[in-house]
Amino acid sequence: MSRRDFLRRGAYLTSAIAAGLPEAVSLLHPKTADAAIMGIGQELRDVLNEETVNRILQEALARGGDFADVFAEQRFRTAIVLDAGKIDSVTYGYPRGAGVRVARRNQTGYAFSDEISYSSLLDAARVASTVVETQSRTNPIDVTRRNLQPPFTLQNPEPLMLETAKFDVLRRMDAAARGVDPRIVSVRIEYVDEVRDVLIGTSDGVYVLDRQYLLSVSCVPAAQAGGKRGSGLATMGGRVEADYFVRRSPEDAARQAALQAVRLLDAGPAPAGPMPVVVAPGWGGVLIHESLGHALEGDGVRRGTSLLTGLGGTRVASPLVRVVDDGRWPNGRGSSAADDEGTPAQRTVAVEAGVLQSYLLDKQNAALLGLRSTGNGRRMSYRNWPIPRMTNTYIDSGSSDPASLLNGIAKGFYAAELGGGSVDTTSGNFNFAVREGYWIENGRRTRPVRGAVLVGNSLETMKRIEGIGSDLVIELSRGTCGKDGQMVPVGVGQPTVRFSSITVGGPSI
Amino acid sequence: MPRQSAVDLAERIRIQAERSGAQEAETYLESGTTTEARLRQGQVELFQQSSILGLGLRVFRDRRMGFLYTTDLRETVLNELVNRTLALTNMATPRDENKITETLAVTQSDLELRDEAVVRLRPEDLIRFARTAEESAFAQDKRIQTTKDVRCGTAVAEVYFSNTYIARQTYRGTTVWLSATPVATQGSQRREGSFIDRKRFLADLARPEQIGQRAVERALAKLGGTPVPSVRVPVVFSAEAAGVFLQGLFAAFSALNVLEQRSFLTGKLGQSIASPAVTIVDDGTMRRGLGSRYFDGEGGETNRTVAVDRGVLRQYLHSAATARRMNVPPTGNGLRSYDTLPAIGPTNFYIDYGSTGTDRLRREVDRGLYVTGLAGFGVDTVSGEYSQQVEGQWIEKGELTKPVEGVTVAGRLDEMLLGIDGVGTDLEFRSNVASPTIRFKELTVAGGA
Repeated sequence: MSRRDFLRRGAYLTSAIAAGLPEAVSLLHPKTADAAIMGIGQELRDVLNEETVNRILQEALARGGDFADVFAEQRFRTAIVLDAGKIDSVTYGYPRGAGVRVARRNQTGYAFSDEISYSSLLDAARVASTVVETQSRTNPIDVTRRNLQPPFTLQNPEPLMLETAKFDVLRRMDAAARGVDPRIVSVRIEYVDEVRDVLIGTSDGVYVLDRQYLLSVSCVPAAQAGGKRGSGLATMGGRVEADYFVRRSPEDAARQAALQAVRLLDAGPAPAGPMPVVVAPGWGGVLIHESLGHALEGDGVRRGTSLLTGLGGTRVASPLVRVVDDGRWPNGRGSSAADDEGTPAQRTVAVEAGVLQSYLLDKQNAALLGLRSTGNGRRMSYRNWPIPRMTNTYIDSGSSDPASLLNGIAKGFYAAELGGGSVDTTSGNFNFAVREGYWIENGRRTRPVRGAVLVGNSLETMKRIEGIGSDLVIELSRGTCGKDGQMVPVGVGQPTVRFSSITVGGPSI
Repeated sequence: MPRQSAVDLAERIRIQAERSGAQEAETYLESGTTTEARLRQGQVELFQQSSILGLGLRVFRDRRMGFLYTTDLRETVLNELVNRTLALTNMATPRDENKITETLAVTQSDLELRDEAVVRLRPEDLIRFARTAEESAFAQDKRIQTTKDVRCGTAVAEVYFSNTYIARQTYRGTTVWLSATPVATQGSQRREGSFIDRKRFLADLARPEQIGQRAVERALAKLGGTPVPSVRVPVVFSAEAAGVFLQGLFAAFSALNVLEQRSFLTGKLGQSIASPAVTIVDDGTMRRGLGSRYFDGEGGETNRTVAVDRGVLRQYLHSAATARRMNVPPTGNGLRSYDTLPAIGPTNFYIDYGSTGTDRLRREVDRGLYVTGLAGFGVDTVSGEYSQQVEGQWIEKGELTKPVEGVTVAGRLDEMLLGIDGVGTDLEFRSNVASPTIRFKELTVAGGA
């Protein structure tokens, strides 16, 4: 969308607001980008100003405790689903509420309310405080507004585009995917965007407001021929500007997904057993997310259940490996100005030259470990308490020419596109699915094979990295991590990475 | 907001939607309270208690469908959201099947979804159950020195529904759960085991001591696990593993996926898709079932549907819309919460129990794998391929001989289902998707060299 169109649209919206919209939904349609920034969290602040937050926190700590916070949130979501060539459903979602947490050492009390009012949050504060059994006195609380340094600024965020433009994107993707091949028998496209305002007040004096925009589009074409079926996947989005779909062609993405579905029709079965594996850049970072990322999170480390407990300063990966968690990566799904405890987002080098340097920490687990939060305290919504989570996690660029990483592999597996994965952080056993793979034969990528799950043990597998390309890519358009029932958007990334051996879980021996 | 005024408000909003141009409208209001205590090393590590109240409203106009959901129940906000949603609905595509349910679901006999004993549980009770489970875990074995945590919680929920044709309907339910995750340590090796029970009635919940004990057995069984060489052998899935596998398989039975060519079961009605030992049922009317309900998310009647009868695919599972598209009766599988549209999902979905003793399923295996746990994603219900990380025990001459981890099992789903050569008798519901122990004649185990 051009600046001019945006302003024209702004005029349309101004008239809508003049027609008497209630304030509660005004965040949807800020008149201009400037107004959008001025108005961040205003509706939350109307109820939860510094004074009322002080009083709620005071109530939360009335029975003792080390720490308390108030977290208020409202989101406006637009969802559009296109299936079988038709706009199947359209949704507006407006969930809103606030929660109070009380912490004392390793103990946490939490309560929330779907209604944002002073009285409902005082009630929540009382419920949350029941976890604390001491009667120690709390010093008066005085929160002060902090200005957050945003990692990047969106002038014209995509979620503020006119609805008609969003429908247009879906229709273009649908037509492009169907046009690829007559064997494409169905296409489902899901579009979701959201504007999320948060307000955080903490007993250590922080009071912040933030607004986060997020776009997620997925396109799943299915192909069928001769009794065989396959599906492709393309995703688009991130924390992006409205001109995103001008810079990146939705048609190209949809066509790639359709081609993938068709390719998988003819792909052979995946091999079974350990062999050299090369993983493609970008979304391949699922691998580091599962293999080391979760074990770096401070809750498991503090409880002593993570396999990385006590391994600070020791070798946990090949010396080629640097692992970074960067909550400020431009446009990243895991990026924000601050985490959900009000700690500014930061870049943390977790592993340097294969040696464990830092865990990923929220306030509570950091305090218990005698460390400081690394800005990784995140939550799914106001209905959840914060726990240590990754933001955008990646293996940093290495020095190898990506093409050279296949050299010398007589027989191996190339993971062109990964699916999801999971890990047991106590044992370190992890898996990640491959949506699309290829044989590597005599140093060259050859026949396509269908997906398979790859499995390994974190520490063993990370030590088997024997080559890292110079082609780092951070995936901005997909990545939702689930832990303890909480789903949060994350970024993952890596350059091309070569492993001397990983077990490929195909059916073909 | 008190519940009754929320219900009245939901009614007013639906009527306002109808006055503002929706030919049909439907409200789905959810309220409830969730409480959970988590213990670790005898100390309460987390206590949380909260009430939710959320509203979903579907509007239909000229066979176009729009949806809004919110937890903001201020009337001015709702009025505005309704108007915006109606405007958005104009941009959707008309579809013949976009029509809301006109007939009231026949009242079922008492499904026993709510237990007053669960409602009455106090936080101290939850803490006591969790403490007993953890103490029992520590008492089992010296190698259990810590737990990840032990959790005990309850949910008390109520659903309220109405639409243009159907007056207020409501049902209430309770759930109680208790889980333990002890960590077993041997030398430098640590393995966790987890056991959870979940029930609608407190009296049906496994005793805390049992939960601690079963979890410890699982943790200890994993110590010393190693991969086995890649091989094709018979594979037995424990009841729990088979339940997780079935959960992944559900999407293949969704009529929407079938209609849109996204299921490997497309076009297979009336055909043998599994061995005659296999019967698969979805039953939304099971007494005390975790997935039971008096009506589905569209106000439709819930049913007992035999999807696979002794190996033959008899029915797909439907929402109201897919039933209309395929011109068959709906099955009551349009499930939702207030913040989602009705989508085809499992009520109580299970492989029915068979006739082979669970021990016999293992004893008949000369050399094979007994799978006790599955991890990550594995079932591709579009292509019909299966590959998943598993752990368990190696079987030699019918006996469990050594723990196995770091391996996968793989196969083609159509061959796997036809190759199920034994179904156990041990069907138990600790989740709304469940299975007895099952044995696959042969799968590929991928492991070490």
